[in-house]
Amino acid sequence: MANSRLPAGVQDVLPRECSILTELKLKLEKKFSSAGFSPVLSAGLEYYETFSGKENAVPEERMFKMTDTDGKLLVLRPDTTLSIARIAATKLNSDRARLSYFADKYDLENGGGLSSREIYQAGVECLGEEGAFSDAQCIAFAIECLKEAGLRDFIIDIGHVGYFKGLLEESGLSPFQAEDVRACINRKDTMNAERLLKKAGVSGDALNNILALPALFGSREVFSVAEALTHNSCARRAVDDLKNIDRLLTAMGYEGYISYDLGMIKPLSYYSGILFSGLVKDLGAPVLSGGRYDNLADAFGKHMPAVGFAMGLKRILVALERQGALPEEKKPLVIVAEEGQEAPAYREFLARTERGERVRLSALTGKEGVKQEEDAGYEVLPVGGNA
Amino acid sequence: MITFALAKGRLATESAKLLARCGVDTAVLYEETRKLVLSSADGNFRFFLVKPSDVPVYVEAGVADLGVVGKDTLIEEDRDIYEMLDLKIGECSLCLAGYPERKDVLTSPALRVATKYVNTAKRLFSERGEDVEIIPLHGSIELAPVTDLSDVIFDVVQTGSTLKANGLVVLEEIFTGITARLVANKVSLKTKSAEILPLIAKVKEEVA
Repeated sequence: MANSRLPAGVQDVLPRECSILTELKLKLEKKFSSAGFSPVLSAGLEYYETFSGKENAVPEERMFKMTDTDGKLLVLRPDTTLSIARIAATKLNSDRARLSYFADKYDLENGGGLSSREIYQAGVECLGEEGAFSDAQCIAFAIECLKEAGLRDFIIDIGHVGYFKGLLEESGLSPFQAEDVRACINRKDTMNAERLLKKAGVSGDALNNILALPALFGSREVFSVAEALTHNSCARRAVDDLKNIDRLLTAMGYEGYISYDLGMIKPLSYYSGILFSGLVKDLGAPVLSGGRYDNLADAFGKHMPAVGFAMGLKRILVALERQGALPEEKKPLVIVAEEGQEAPAYREFLARTERGERVRLSALTGKEGVKQEEDAGYEVLPVGGNA
Repeated sequence: MITFALAKGRLATESAKLLARCGVDTAVLYEETRKLVLSSADGNFRFFLVKPSDVPVYVEAGVADLGVVGKDTLIEEDRDIYEMLDLKIGECSLCLAGYPERKDVLTSPALRVATKYVNTAKRLFSERGEDVEIIPLHGSIELAPVTDLSDVIFDVVQTGSTLKANGLVVLEEIFTGITARLVANKVSLKTKSAEILPLIAKVKEEVA
């Protein structure tokens, strides 16, 4: 018998789940389009080199790789933002673009649980724009998208890489050491961060400031604490950025949806400004992730400051399910032709589909057909000659 | 309601005592029961008592908001969770231990290391550029060198009495200061902050 199993970390999406997923996609497509985003679809296969450049590094061990006929190394779409930046920088004759996408991305690491190796994402990228208003708009749109998806009890948690970068400048760490410290801070592991920093010879204010990062989360009160810690200009600019964004989002009516965490420093090295995550009360992992990446397109020969985010659609589905917010299953009305009345039944079926109703024309006919369809739990409409 | 995943075994009693001192109603943890989900009488807390290595799994998935687990397990499991506090209980070290003089085994040129901490051992020896044979075990690790299943063991050492009773010694301390940690789910910390942060503050005061 043929192998009917799947490799680890991937799932089939069955009809009930798939119909909800499709509906979610339709809602978001409409939302993206009405907010002025144009859809793109990047290629599923790309060159390994595109993603392995040292600035853009997606970890090597997390990419699905294969060799092309000419021996070049290919990867299965490991990241969408980078591809979109590539498209915007090299194929669109404009300095600005607002692009949206729906795509699977692949991650060789199989985390299990809520992590999958095939991640179906919906996202937007605002390219060629900068400033607090662009950031605030993007975050506001993220909130609107999660609302549109039907989620409640969620927040957007906002951080800024500039603050950490500023503190690093003061510490004199090498990029290699900095990455280890970043990982510790991002897990709020102050103890190991301290061990690493002391080993690297960091002391005094530079040490204490970095160690204060994990506790710098909450509402806008963290700004004044963060400002009091350092005079570094990069760090100060980051706090100013966040204050401006906070002012705008508050004025736009989103105050209740936002929180801040200056200790959130995501691993993808292309982020250059704000970072944010969408957190839902009933799910232990983020459903949305985004940030500003002003220098990502530089590698493709064009400077396009940009900000964007992606949502994990399957995670949103899990969150909706936990919140009891999944739509009811809509079974189609089943039309059964009476004996010899196939054509009129078909005409009835066609007319109803054209009106946008959800109907199915049964392949069974007559009294027996009606009985079998009813036994299967469908609402049945028998159609005869005079229908 | 805050849900805790607590490590069974050497940390269980001490972590329960610590939480009680911080105002958590832990009476239910002392009841004789086979129930797996224990809820406090006031309905504010829920506990799962699980194998230490499972604590980070429950917390990462958000099934538990907070967890208490040893740093040794956190190093081994390497999960995406917040490590909030050092609880300073159950202190021990992760060590390489064996006989004072290594017995050369002709048929096994690579050092044979028996351990429960397979991932950590792999990382350790690969960082050092040493080829070793890792022998995964789940308990009574000290038996391995005694029976010549391995040359050395890589394990936690608290008092060293088990080592001594079997004629083994610590050859090298790899990680010191292995203590219990309070860990948190990354989302719960933010979405349930009104409940969780005051508790964390209390625990912090208590262990300071």
